[in-house]
Amino acid sequence: MSEKYTDVEFMICQSARIIEDSSTVFVGYGMPQIAMILAQRLYAPSIVQVYEYGAIGPEVATPFRRNMMADARNSYRSYSWTTMNWMMAFAQAGFIDYGVLGAAQIDPFGNVNSTMIGGTYERPGKRFTGSGGANEVASLCWRTILLMNHEKRRFLPRIDFVTSPGYLDGSPLAREKAGLPAGTGPSRVITSLAAFDFGPESHRMRLVAVRKGMTKDRILAEMEFEPEVADRIETIEPPRPEELAMLRDDIDPDRVIIGKGE
Amino acid sequence: MEILDKGQGEVRLWDVDEARAWMREKKTRRLVDKVMTEHEAVERFVADGGYLSYDLSSMVRGPMSLEREIVRQRRKDLWIAAKFTLLDTSILVGGGCVSKIDVGFAGLGRPLFRAIEEGRVKTIDWSNGTLALRHKAAAMGVPFLPVRSLAGTDTFRRSGAMVVREPFTGKTITVVPAVFPDVAIIHVNQCDRHGNARVFGPSISPLETAMASKRVIVSTEEIIPTEEIKRRPDLTTIPYFLVDAVVVAPWGGHPGTTPGYYTYDAENLDEFFAARDDAGMKRYLDRYVYGVKSHFEYLELIGIEKLTKLSEMETIREGYRP
Repeated sequence: MSEKYTDVEFMICQSARIIEDSSTVFVGYGMPQIAMILAQRLYAPSIVQVYEYGAIGPEVATPFRRNMMADARNSYRSYSWTTMNWMMAFAQAGFIDYGVLGAAQIDPFGNVNSTMIGGTYERPGKRFTGSGGANEVASLCWRTILLMNHEKRRFLPRIDFVTSPGYLDGSPLAREKAGLPAGTGPSRVITSLAAFDFGPESHRMRLVAVRKGMTKDRILAEMEFEPEVADRIETIEPPRPEELAMLRDDIDPDRVIIGKGE
Repeated sequence: MEILDKGQGEVRLWDVDEARAWMREKKTRRLVDKVMTEHEAVERFVADGGYLSYDLSSMVRGPMSLEREIVRQRRKDLWIAAKFTLLDTSILVGGGCVSKIDVGFAGLGRPLFRAIEEGRVKTIDWSNGTLALRHKAAAMGVPFLPVRSLAGTDTFRRSGAMVVREPFTGKTITVVPAVFPDVAIIHVNQCDRHGNARVFGPSISPLETAMASKRVIVSTEEIIPTEEIKRRPDLTTIPYFLVDAVVVAPWGGHPGTTPGYYTYDAENLDEFFAARDDAGMKRYLDRYVYGVKSHFEYLELIGIEKLTKLSEMETIREGYRP
């Protein structure tokens, strides 16, 4: 059983491993929540999860339940409870190290879409929820980690709607010139096949690691734009037995999130 | 301030001095008994074409009983602030009450998205943070507030925000206009008969939303004596003179949770999300909204056994009781 795992489990384990302990993390619904609970249980016990609805540092109660956001289990054993304007202020004032977000589409500069696909703005082909708190997270946290299911149609030279900012047009200081806080932006894109960072000058996505058993060419074939490729490509270890056990037995036994796409 | 860029979204502005005058004239400081039924509160304070705001979401301490009453009274043409929302927007759109949504988070369910895709409802995209901040601006009595999100995105372009040159340092900054809702509906844990209200747990912007709004309807799990408020003033979230109506609504957030009081009704939510089209939504509304006359009749439909069970299942109580 332990060698079989879902794409979602793969992305969750990958994200859980890279968060530094004792950092503050702005968490979005779904995969990011599960990933940060896993990180806290296995690798980074002292991370401080923060949620837009006002919880700072909860030890989220599990099992995870569908739509679990802002309820008693999500807010359990926090350091502080406050309100949304304060939460965004914490991020805006520089206190939040990471943001973790999912999205429907991404472009080479890490701009993401969670608003609409196709048609016109007034009559969208497919409408989604819109920003929620994602625009604030991507704008204001020091480093943003983006979680993307790796499908060709999601990696586009131009996305249908820029909901939340990456490096905008990629030009030097594009974020700062627009008015976003200096020194912020996406730092990593974690997909079901690979991991990317961003070229320090170009601000373009750069392939840095691939899932074990995958090749660079297979990854590139699954994207509508060509990312940069790092000189050395790491291999991403598949989910470890202890990660899968924790996910399946304790955190999400009902497979609300980890079973997506099964 | 030099305007550098401008979103295209429609914004309804209100002069801050007119707002002050309204708050002076229409918000009585007298300690009167404001308890009334949800029918009366919605009839008096929610008008067709008005701007409606609520706090938190249908899933958590949401004003569900008031939302159902708005649908039951078939309000039309509302413009709503969806600053953190799950099925609130769906149920109001499903009931045909909404023509415009200021989107923070537009949730949830196919019927809502279809209404947007078919152009039956107009969206103006913002973000949760900027919508909450617009309420804060109004609550502070200022016409706008600066913010460092939104810039550079299509979300900005579709919003009614602006990018300006900031006068003190000359740097670029985004500004968002105050929003003064015609009416706010807020579900709270405890409230006295005058409107002194307590919200337990984290929240979106209950105080800002109440201060920003011309009219405020509070629904409450429990009525408590004013003496109790006076004994623990540190627990008061909303002072009474902001509030126009107090509606007694135990399990008022059902089928969502009110943390520390009762958990979600997963079965009922499944039924809601099973509504994939307008016909499905109509079946849900026929049963749970139009099929009953009041919140108390709704509670009878759900049944005391089920409701008691939901309360029992809410085992985490720390922080949600004085």
